[in-house]
Amino acid sequence: MTNLDLNGRPVSFRSPDDTPLLWAIRDEIGLTGTKFGCGIGMCGACTVHVEGRATRSCITPLAAVAGARITTIEGLDPKGQHPLQSAWIELQVPQCGYCQSGQIMQAATLLQDYPDPTDRDIDAVMAGSLCRCMTYVRIRKAIKLAASKMRVGSAP
Amino acid sequence: MNRILHADDRDSGASLPSRRGFLIAMVGTGVTLGFARPGLGAIELPSGEAEATPAELFEPTIWYGIDREGFVTVNVIRAEMGQHVGTALARIVADELEADWQKVRIVHVDSDPKWGLMVTGGSWSVWQSFPILSQAGAAGRIALIEEGAKLLGVGSEACVARNGAVAAGGKSIGYGDIVVRGDLRRSYTEEQLKAMPIKPPDERRLIGRDTTAIDVPSKTNGEARYGLDARVDGMIYARPKVPPTRNDSRVVSIDDAAAKSVPGYIRTLALNDPSETVPGWVMVYADSFVAASRAADLVKVEWHVGESGKVSEEDLQRRAGELIADRNGGALVVDDPGLDAAFAAAKSTIERTYTTSTVMHFQLEPVNAVAFEKDGVFEIHTGNQWQSLILPVLAQALARNQDKIVLRSYMLGGGFGRRLNGDYAVPAALAAKLAGRPVKMICTRPDDMRFDSPRSPSVQLLRMAFGDGGNVTAMDHQAAAGWPTAVMAPSFLFKAGNGALYDPFSISGADHWYSVGAQRVRALRNDLADRTFRPGWLRSVAPGWTAWAVESFMDEASHAAGADPVAFRLRLLDAAGRNAGSAPNAVGGARRQAAVLARAAQKAGWGGALPKDVGLGVATSFGQERDMPTWVACVARVAVDRGSGRVTVEKLTLVVDAGTIVHPDGAEAQVEGAALWGLSMALHEGSEFVGGQPKDTNLDSYTPLRMGDVPPVEIEFLPSTEMPVGLGEPATTVVAPAIANAIFAASGARIRHLPIRPGAVLRALSNSA
Amino acid sequence: MIGFLALAWRPAILPIDPPAKTSFPAELIASGQILAGAGYCEVCHTRQGGEKLAGGYALRSDFGTIYSTNITPEPETGIGRWSLEAFTRAMHEGVARDGSHLFPAFPYDHYTKISDEDVEALYAYLMTRPPVKATAPVNTLPFPLNIRTLQEGWKLLFFRSGRYRPDAAKSAEWNRGAYLAEGLSHCGGCHTPRNLLGAEKADHAYGGAVIEDWVAPALTDENPSPAPWTQGELFSYLRSGVSPLHGVSAGSMSPVIHTGLAAVPDADIRAEAIYFAELDHAEARTAATDAAIKKALATSALGTGQEYDPDARLYAAACVACHYNAGPNPLPARPELALNSALTLSEPTNFIHVVLEGIGTRDGGPGLVMPSYAALGDADIARLAAYLRRTRTDRSPWTDVETKVAALRRQAASAKPE
Repeated sequence: MTNLDLNGRPVSFRSPDDTPLLWAIRDEIGLTGTKFGCGIGMCGACTVHVEGRATRSCITPLAAVAGARITTIEGLDPKGQHPLQSAWIELQVPQCGYCQSGQIMQAATLLQDYPDPTDRDIDAVMAGSLCRCMTYVRIRKAIKLAASKMRVGSAP
Repeated sequence: MNRILHADDRDSGASLPSRRGFLIAMVGTGVTLGFARPGLGAIELPSGEAEATPAELFEPTIWYGIDREGFVTVNVIRAEMGQHVGTALARIVADELEADWQKVRIVHVDSDPKWGLMVTGGSWSVWQSFPILSQAGAAGRIALIEEGAKLLGVGSEACVARNGAVAAGGKSIGYGDIVVRGDLRRSYTEEQLKAMPIKPPDERRLIGRDTTAIDVPSKTNGEARYGLDARVDGMIYARPKVPPTRNDSRVVSIDDAAAKSVPGYIRTLALNDPSETVPGWVMVYADSFVAASRAADLVKVEWHVGESGKVSEEDLQRRAGELIADRNGGALVVDDPGLDAAFAAAKSTIERTYTTSTVMHFQLEPVNAVAFEKDGVFEIHTGNQWQSLILPVLAQALARNQDKIVLRSYMLGGGFGRRLNGDYAVPAALAAKLAGRPVKMICTRPDDMRFDSPRSPSVQLLRMAFGDGGNVTAMDHQAAAGWPTAVMAPSFLFKAGNGALYDPFSISGADHWYSVGAQRVRALRNDLADRTFRPGWLRSVAPGWTAWAVESFMDEASHAAGADPVAFRLRLLDAAGRNAGSAPNAVGGARRQAAVLARAAQKAGWGGALPKDVGLGVATSFGQERDMPTWVACVARVAVDRGSGRVTVEKLTLVVDAGTIVHPDGAEAQVEGAALWGLSMALHEGSEFVGGQPKDTNLDSYTPLRMGDVPPVEIEFLPSTEMPVGLGEPATTVVAPAIANAIFAASGARIRHLPIRPGAVLRALSNSA
Repeated sequence: MIGFLALAWRPAILPIDPPAKTSFPAELIASGQILAGAGYCEVCHTRQGGEKLAGGYALRSDFGTIYSTNITPEPETGIGRWSLEAFTRAMHEGVARDGSHLFPAFPYDHYTKISDEDVEALYAYLMTRPPVKATAPVNTLPFPLNIRTLQEGWKLLFFRSGRYRPDAAKSAEWNRGAYLAEGLSHCGGCHTPRNLLGAEKADHAYGGAVIEDWVAPALTDENPSPAPWTQGELFSYLRSGVSPLHGVSAGSMSPVIHTGLAAVPDADIRAEAIYFAELDHAEARTAATDAAIKKALATSALGTGQEYDPDARLYAAACVACHYNAGPNPLPARPELALNSALTLSEPTNFIHVVLEGIGTRDGGPGLVMPSYAALGDADIARLAAYLRRTRTDRSPWTDVETKVAALRRQAASAKPE
């Protein structure tokens, strides 16, 4: 039994505590916005936030996140209108869409650490997030668009 | 797609949409709409949650319906895999229908014979659907105007349909009200529909303008449902033990002793597959995927492995080389008289061989399916690109009629051709049948990679004959590769002039639009490849290798002729003879290819001064098929590091003429994605067969393009009102040869193998020195 | 010989009736609680998933496995019948109530330095914990090491009884730090190399050692980290588990910080930091810190541009999203690998551990979790290790990394609790 906070609600998992967080979220809770891609933490499709930071859930056992605050794409913003989500829609980023939950969750951590990211910052922090449709050009644009909106929004 | 439509469809068991009469009638109850929420193609299990059918629905054709609220629901038979196809197709209907775009919905329908051939591939969707959907929309509009006019008490010639309403003078009536109050019973013959006048381009109100694709919001908030997200009450999970070879492994024994220690493990069973899609497969069942996966790692299976267990990439390439060296055999796809004479009389000739390695699909969602029997019907829930191909296979595997099997549609976590081959539905269905309960089969990434239908390795020999003054007098192109169509859909093979059958999708691109005098194209089936693995259709299919060869060769030929590579090509793109083009699809012919080439060269600063070790390279193609040419050209600017052989791609410039652009933003996205696929396959992908299996099974060694690998990409569409053609793949075909040609321009190193590795550049540099 | 044997078994101290909880003043218990944190008693006296302080934790050593004992006040299996005198003798002399010698896995060689007052406070704290009935498994020490009487010989050779004596030349804070570090916190227990008989090498104190298949790095200026362990870095690390210029706690250091020292006030943590910062001469080396940071950050984006090196691509796909730093200083939540202790140690042990096991909420720092990359093969992890060692440090390559990965993976699998 692993207890944690998922999208603001307390959750107790019945799955064994060596179960990867990804499968516990998807199959035990039924939140399927977080995806399975490679199973070795190298595609980023399974990215969720653990204590607010992007983490590959496919290789993170439940035991490692006992007591932690977990956020999935479904919980990033109550209305699905996080500035990144809005930018993703405005610039029509997704193609097949399968990687995009992970891309957005990873980008949220990027902007938290670097609110005005350079291309180099984007190259590095997004390097672990594979997009097989190759929407990289738009992901980069959308990150910058969201960043500019967030900076305006947070200006005094 | 003409080819497919005219091919014998006995395997698909489906009638073709173009042969259907279209009925315009008032439809009462009994029409089912398979959608749960607007904008979501897939339904969520358990099924039966579909919205109740409105009491009144105007369904002028099978392609769409209008309800009493005026909502237009467009039935989409194509798979949504990132191309926003539903949006593009709905725009076509809505434009002719003069619908209110805010009241348009799409439904990705389940398999049903009434839809005819269900396939999403070849970048055909918009091109093939455009006339049908336009005419269907026009028919609806005319009917609505006629009935609206009566209800308004005016003549129909006084009425205008706009934005979901019919208006005359100051009065107007919405489509919903017409559905409720009018008498919309109409019927037209197929001929009448075909003659249905569609609007002139300058009256289009939706086509050619941007909109938010209907599927996009759901792909930013976790709501979009993919095959992996399907679930049904009472289902258990299964993970396969994928045998050591694709075609000739047989189970000798299974030992699951160690797996019994895994909590939740149920059992392990060997599949018996009458369709021979998955010979030697073993299924490990458990009450969760994690348990099934861990148990599968512990289950020991001994297989008897056939001959293909010894085959290497080198063997495959050697076999291709042997086929080419043998003057006999193969299909003469183009076979102009006088070729041998032209070579015999040539002032000079050049001959080059180009090769490509095996390429993996690596669609991000590993293949999976939920299968179960319900009320006598076997349901398969999965993302799929070619329902009509896999249904008969499933029927054979399950030993039941096709009408007792239904494929339910989900979004695809990447298609790229992998899911044209729906083979993964077969083991899931067999597993469910064997277990007697619903089963969700999920392949891990290594399972998926070992079960992939990769792009076959290829070997191509090209020859050119020059006459006086460097004039090209003949060209010979021979290509050997595995043939997916021969393995999976043999009824779609074509017959060549010499009577031999061939896979059109494994040679297209060699039949190019250059005027080269006497031309010959010989297609050879790599039988060893077809025995060793199941070759697949992969984004852009044959032109992924044929355009690589043709465009690398054109570059080499231009240098041999002492000509500029752009000027040399422009001279050959003279739109003469068979390259003049024809209506409706290829109006203008090679003239349009020349136009994109010239524009790309101009945009990229062709001929300008460049820093040391930096070069521009060009390539152009007609996309995939002469029947549906999408004209595309690419200029790559690269820098070569002579010390390490590293290639830095500084910029890609692409110019495309795809006729009418239905959804400009979506079109640009497709070209971006396709071009970067080309880049990824040129520099970062490529695998090899070792012991009958692809060597790379995950991202630790298979390394597709990532964010930091992406150079600036500039894309321009030439304005056109011609027939809209495909966009998903053409740009893939030109990037690799443009890069190789740029490497040559920068450094003198000529690369003739894909993928291009720094080591190969170093070797080529030392050869050129 | 007779004399030795006589010495080798000390007299038993009479059992007592377990004292009532109310017999201990609340302030004394509270003070004992802090001291128990500083000594992180709970870490070694609690088995994984077991009741607190009830023992059974397996301490693996070169000599065999020793299981910790039950130190709850349960009368039959714990220390409920131990008088303060018996408890004090155990702490200061390493002798159990029944007179048998304790193995030096129980660090009485450090605890002997603890003042009588503090021992009494610890006693008050432990005797007021919930009693748990639990007997530790039998130790697996081979003959003759399992003979407790022989421990007397070990004591004769290596053990010097006596309380901590302050150094008048040093500040009160330094002395407080030294008192805690040398005594209750027994830092040398892990960080000082041991001789063949398992005693700490007095002439090489805090020189770094291997313990339980982890490397406890040197706490002297032999520590190879690019940035020195300053007072500030030490305080941050001991307080939160995060040192921005060295990395986060892992392995058996995690519970020391998060289970043990968490109970200790800032002043004591700072005192320990002062003590060790002087020990490693950090002040003399801080001038070079800026250069070390600059050099490290210059490598932070390596592998993230157009890249062909397969090892760099492996690193970029698996690691860089979390470990990249834009500068000018590394973010605490982005452990900078070019500064990280694990990469500069002479052995890849700690690096491999963290890659295989990750960092859970109970390790590292607040809000920092690293997944377990055990799904990567041994060869891939070895490639990552070699790549980072090659590109992020100026140290010589590690050897036999793949074999070491395989060995640690096997060891981790066998240590898994049932």
